[in-house]
Amino acid sequence: MATDVLVIGGGIVGMVTATELARSGAQVTLIDAEINAGSTANAGSLHVQMQSRFMRLYPDQVPAIEASLPTYRAAAQEWERLEAEIGSVELVRKGGLMLAEDAAQLAFLEQKAAREARHGLQVELLDRPALDKIAPWLGPQIIGAELCHNEGKVNPLAANLRLRAAAEALGVTRVRDRITALAVAGRVEAHGVTGTYRADRAVVAASWGAGALLRDHGLTVPTQAEPLHMNITEPCAARIDQLIQHAERSITLKQFRSGQIVIGGGWPARDCGQARVPAVEMGSLLGNVALAARLVPAIAHVRVIRSWAGMNTTIDGASVLGPLPATDRIILAVPGDAGYTLGPLIGKWAAGCVLGTVERERIARFSPSRFAA
Amino acid sequence: MSAGSFLFAGRPVPCRDGQSLAAALTEAGERAFRTTPNDQRRGMFCGMGVCQDCLVTVDGIPNRRACMTMSEDGQRVEMQVAYPVLEDIPPATTSPGAARILEPDVAIIGGGAAGLSAAIAARAAGAEVVVLDERKVGGGQYYKQSASHKPLDAQQAEGRDLLARARQSGAEIIGAVEVWGAFDGPLFLADAAGAALIVRPRCAIVATGAYERPRMVPGWTLPGVMTTGAAQTLWRSYRSLPGARVAVCGSGPLNAQVALELAAGGAEVALVGEAARAPWRAPWVALRALTADPGLVLKGLAMMRDLRRRGIPLRHETTLQAVRAQGTELCATFRGSSGVTTEVTVDALCMNDGFEPQNEILRLLGAEMRYDADVGHLRCTRDARMRTSVRSVFAVGDCAGLGGAPAARVEGTIAGRAAAAEAGYGDGYDLFAEERQLARHRRFQSSLWRLHNARPAPAETLARDTILCRCEEITLGDVMDGLQDSPGDLGTLKRATRVGMGRCQGRYCGPVAARLVAERTGKAVEDLSFFAPRVPVKPVSIAAILAAQEALGDGD
Ligand SMILES: Cc1cc2nc3c(=O)[nH]c(=O)nc-3n(C[C@H](O)[C@H](O)[C@H](O)COP(=O)(O)OP(=O)(O)OC[C@H]3O[C@@H](n4cnc5c(N)ncnc54)[C@H](O)[C@@H]3O)c2cc1C
Ligand SMILES: Cc1cc2nc3c(=O)[nH]c(=O)nc-3n(C[C@H](O)[C@H](O)[C@H](O)COP(=O)(O)OP(=O)(O)OC[C@H]3O[C@@H](n4cnc5c(N)ncnc54)[C@H](O)[C@@H]3O)c2cc1C
Ligand code: FES
Repeated sequence: MATDVLVIGGGIVGMVTATELARSGAQVTLIDAEINAGSTANAGSLHVQMQSRFMRLYPDQVPAIEASLPTYRAAAQEWERLEAEIGSVELVRKGGLMLAEDAAQLAFLEQKAAREARHGLQVELLDRPALDKIAPWLGPQIIGAELCHNEGKVNPLAANLRLRAAAEALGVTRVRDRITALAVAGRVEAHGVTGTYRADRAVVAASWGAGALLRDHGLTVPTQAEPLHMNITEPCAARIDQLIQHAERSITLKQFRSGQIVIGGGWPARDCGQARVPAVEMGSLLGNVALAARLVPAIAHVRVIRSWAGMNTTIDGASVLGPLPATDRIILAVPGDAGYTLGPLIGKWAAGCVLGTVERERIARFSPSRFAA
Repeated sequence: MSAGSFLFAGRPVPCRDGQSLAAALTEAGERAFRTTPNDQRRGMFCGMGVCQDCLVTVDGIPNRRACMTMSEDGQRVEMQVAYPVLEDIPPATTSPGAARILEPDVAIIGGGAAGLSAAIAARAAGAEVVVLDERKVGGGQYYKQSASHKPLDAQQAEGRDLLARARQSGAEIIGAVEVWGAFDGPLFLADAAGAALIVRPRCAIVATGAYERPRMVPGWTLPGVMTTGAAQTLWRSYRSLPGARVAVCGSGPLNAQVALELAAGGAEVALVGEAARAPWRAPWVALRALTADPGLVLKGLAMMRDLRRRGIPLRHETTLQAVRAQGTELCATFRGSSGVTTEVTVDALCMNDGFEPQNEILRLLGAEMRYDADVGHLRCTRDARMRTSVRSVFAVGDCAGLGGAPAARVEGTIAGRAAAAEAGYGDGYDLFAEERQLARHRRFQSSLWRLHNARPAPAETLARDTILCRCEEITLGDVMDGLQDSPGDLGTLKRATRVGMGRCQGRYCGPVAARLVAERTGKAVEDLSFFAPRVPVKPVSIAAILAAQEALGDGD
């Protein structure tokens, strides 16, 4: 099969890349293994402020995360453009709260907010009376919070469906296959389990599967599969407008338009290999939900109806985006942390790399060359 | 027996001791218990805690299943709104009991025919046994015990005796606990009215039974339409009738039996509609059943005679087409063998089109299953001692694939002995007599179901506007469109249409959707394993999860 551009990976990044390219007139084939996409498992939080989870788990990555703050701000904004283009993704931008339970946590948030403000984020600190006006359901132990106005939420199921329909309407060919090798001999040749695909250019948007495809091209990109846990409740009246996080503990909590509360925040699941969905760990289910119950006691009588586990992909704290040092026929696009938030922006830029419409200096920071052997 | 009353939507409703809210409400003529996001009314459907359609708000606390919640004098019950307001939920006034961590030799999940028999056998071998059951009173679906009434007949008396023997055996039988989590080990998490129960046995016997397969037609979600087993529970456990005038339909032996029970209780049965042809039109199958179990065949013949005596019309090759509400009544349309349609007007319409195993715990633990196309459901792979493919986990009774109560009892006995032996008590041998009995019961079952329509009706023959997913209000048409737009596996279909995403966790729509995907992709149904089960296997309150976390100190 031959086309202008191959997009390998059909998550948020691959789908946005494919639609952008198709819109500019390119003939696009999207090849997706259709397994363990973070995009079908994620919680739809639009993260902008620095997540305390990453700062704690990967302190060495903090400088990279901090430098990426303007990108996250722009990425959240990009969702508005995407929604205008493809229809409702249930985007709500009422901000995100990061809660503090004691003076030390509040002091940490204060410092964090100051750093974030320097990078152009719209942040403020709220004391309890101010919190009561927007989040009266919080537990009594919460003394204050950082509110980041740039944050928000989308419904990933709705967004994925819209994007899939948009790609189809634009004539993107979708193939279910797993690429095992990528070669460049004049054109790009991608060998899959069931077929071989040829194109002028290829965009690798295969998240955890990307690293393996680039090893033959002189790159060691540490794309790490990270199985994560999620929970969802039955519906209740929609009153939780913000994305809720904690200054010290791993949690995200928010409410979909359906009234269901989604609880996650990076609790681990058990890896069952790349070909199988990760398994739920008891400790994550108990710990994650119990923490939610302590922060928002009003949800005690709502029932959890399901938990699941999905595959996130981490790199080194920043996105990888751009042509390979060895050949500009292959473009790498892996968003990294909070990759769903970044997806539309990274996808647009990846398409821009193919079309030559993105300013090189804008994306130089993300260049794959940092992983050249 | 003491009596009292509670308020429902401000109106007083009389109730008796040990009567479920659903039974008391139905007796009082209240059928609509909640409203859906699409403003539809719903009421009791399954009567056994599976469908989640009977939710009411009790003393301010939403999401209580009326069929599983006992009525109490002075309760304030409200119809549940689609979106209960968080701020209106009162903080817990009474703290739940203390958490318990149990480490018995053998834990048995489900105290029906299979589970109680297993308990007796394992105890007799000397093992320490705990039985957990979601219902307040044990006995399961076949024996349907009543908390406050004498047995109605031999079936209920046999159950009372079995329960008494299980209690006397020294097994700890814990009622009103819902097992919601199962993990490797095995380790089980259960909710006992808000208190956490954690069970880490040496061996586990899963005996969770089956639930009923509905006949999906336009209108099957209306209040007053319920499963035949739900109507049976109303009468046998609570002495409440589903209505003054009822019709029963679907396929299988339960329908005629329950029609008779309801008639004996004083209901007028307008019709029993059986989809299969009459047994005298399939004489060879009938003969095979007769040689396998003459006693049960005679029971069946006596049932037909009694129906005739009571003047209850039993129509074969007659299927339900649609139900609509007509004032406070239901108007059900049936089509007969000659294609002629008839309408009956009733207070309650009961349906049973076979059974689906409650195998979620088994699948969660990773037990191997295979699809049995003859009955349209998964059967758990087991050896002769009822061991599953998972270490130290046994499966008995209907949860492993439909087998009927007599087989469930024998399987329970075999597994009880084998599990005790595995835990170090007795040798588990000398089960020859039980194995012979089991073979006979299984022969009978297979011919019995051949006399009915055990194969699920193909979904494509349904009207497009038939609701497939009760919880998310998704029609067959929505699902067919979803299959068109994003073909692939069941998970893709689920994410595309929301089919199976609701509170019942896909128990009704899942099997149908799995078959639709299989037809569309040409893949075998067993490769799809329906919707992959995840914890919780039933919805569980956040408070109960918090209680379990506190008890285990896990995940801090
Ligand atoms: C449980 C969970 C919750 C999350 N919550 C959030 C959140 O709230 N907010 C947020 O911003 N981010 C969140 N994330 C992260 C986010 O989901 C991911 O970063 C993002 O979806 C990645 O998108 P992607 O397009 O790069 O890759 P993916 O969505 O992972 O898609 C990659 C696709 O490529 C395919 N593939 C891989 N290798 C190959 C190959 N060799 N050939 C062909 N196809 C291949 C895969 O099968 C997959 O379909 C969460 C992640 C998880 C797991
Ligand atoms: C509604 C209904 C009515 C029936 N009526 C008849 C009849 O009249 N005549 C007849 O011949 N056959 C009838 N059957 C079939 C018959 O019930 C079964 O063949 C027989 O009961 C099988 O026994 P069992 O022990 O496998 O399951 P059951 O008797 O169903 O027992 C299973 C038990 O497990 C418990 N349980 C399930 N899940 C959980 C959980 N997560 N946590 C805690 N406890 C749990 C249930 O509360 C139940 O008590 C009926 C079946 C159903 C579903
Ligand atoms: S009727 Fe109560 S859960 Fe089905």
